[in-house]
Amino acid sequence: MTKEQREKLPVIFRTFLKFGCFTFGGGWSIVAQIQKEFVEKRKWITDEELLDFTSVARSVPGLMIGNASVLFGYQEAGAIGALVALLGIVIPPVLIMIGVVFVYNLLQNNPYMARAMMGVRAAVVPIILSALIKLFKAGMKDVFCYLIALGALALCLFTGISNVLIVVLGAAVGLLYREVKSRRDLS
Amino acid sequence: MIYLELFLSFLMIGFTSFGGMSMIPLINQEMLSHGWLTAREVADIVAIAEMTPGPLGLNCATFAGIRTAGIPGALAASMGVIIPSLTVCMAAAAFLTKFKESRLMDEAMYGIRPVCIGMIFAVIIQQSEVNYAGKLFGFVSWPAVLIGAVAMVLLLKFKWNVPRTILVSAALGMLLGGF
Repeated sequence: MTKEQREKLPVIFRTFLKFGCFTFGGGWSIVAQIQKEFVEKRKWITDEELLDFTSVARSVPGLMIGNASVLFGYQEAGAIGALVALLGIVIPPVLIMIGVVFVYNLLQNNPYMARAMMGVRAAVVPIILSALIKLFKAGMKDVFCYLIALGALALCLFTGISNVLIVVLGAAVGLLYREVKSRRDLS
Repeated sequence: MIYLELFLSFLMIGFTSFGGMSMIPLINQEMLSHGWLTAREVADIVAIAEMTPGPLGLNCATFAGIRTAGIPGALAASMGVIIPSLTVCMAAAAFLTKFKESRLMDEAMYGIRPVCIGMIFAVIIQQSEVNYAGKLFGFVSWPAVLIGAVAMVLLLKFKWNVPRTILVSAALGMLLGGF
């Protein structure tokens, strides 16, 4: 590790701790924060590099926020940089959630809290649904995609098959379909 | 051992999830099948995770871990869910230029995205059964259905963000919950 990389470590940790306190609303929040701090202000990376990080972070398994942190940290200060960025982004939410659960346990049997939670739970299906609509636009490329989705839904509703296995099956079907298609296009 | 089980369970969830809500079906199934949380508590996690900073998967891991096995459980579950970033994504970072050119992940995602959509539909059906159950016609709760409809309009028509929608839903719950 070069001296320059070593000097970057505390900066990465501090800024990612700060990012960790404000990552609301999924993966895009971290991209916006990296853009502001490291593209515009510190000029460590370019917009193009950030775009690469974003697309890779989305296409490998795991938390997109964690993946984006690892990609950024690795480029700036190697494996240790990646680890430091990831720890920074993870520590604040874990601590905050521990506090939240403490309060949740205390208030769980409070009648007003129970009413409020009834309202909150009623909003959960609309929340998932609105996220699903966005996924729909990105994921449903052709008729075959609808068939895959219906298949997965049927497996979930009518069998006890593990969701993990369904995802692996989906990946296999995707690879196979594209392979068959590209061969047909060639011939 | 419960810590190891939590760790392995969230490790698996992490390796087969591709961002945000696509984790919910996996988390839902793992929590219910182990008996770690009820469907209601899963709904609570989703709402709480949206109100607090941090990735949804990590928030769920911390919440489920601490409710099942205290703070050590929370740490074990959180460790599990971040391992994919430390392994697969670290490898992708090391071979970034090669990875960018590879079509393999793209092609796998072609099948994975629709599968996630199907699984999320299944969760929506299950969550609806739990969260809108009540006495009206013997099976629905009208305050819950009303609040759900309001939340839907706020999110889709007025493009409200999720935390604001949750706050309004909580307030409506306090008002209507007695009925």
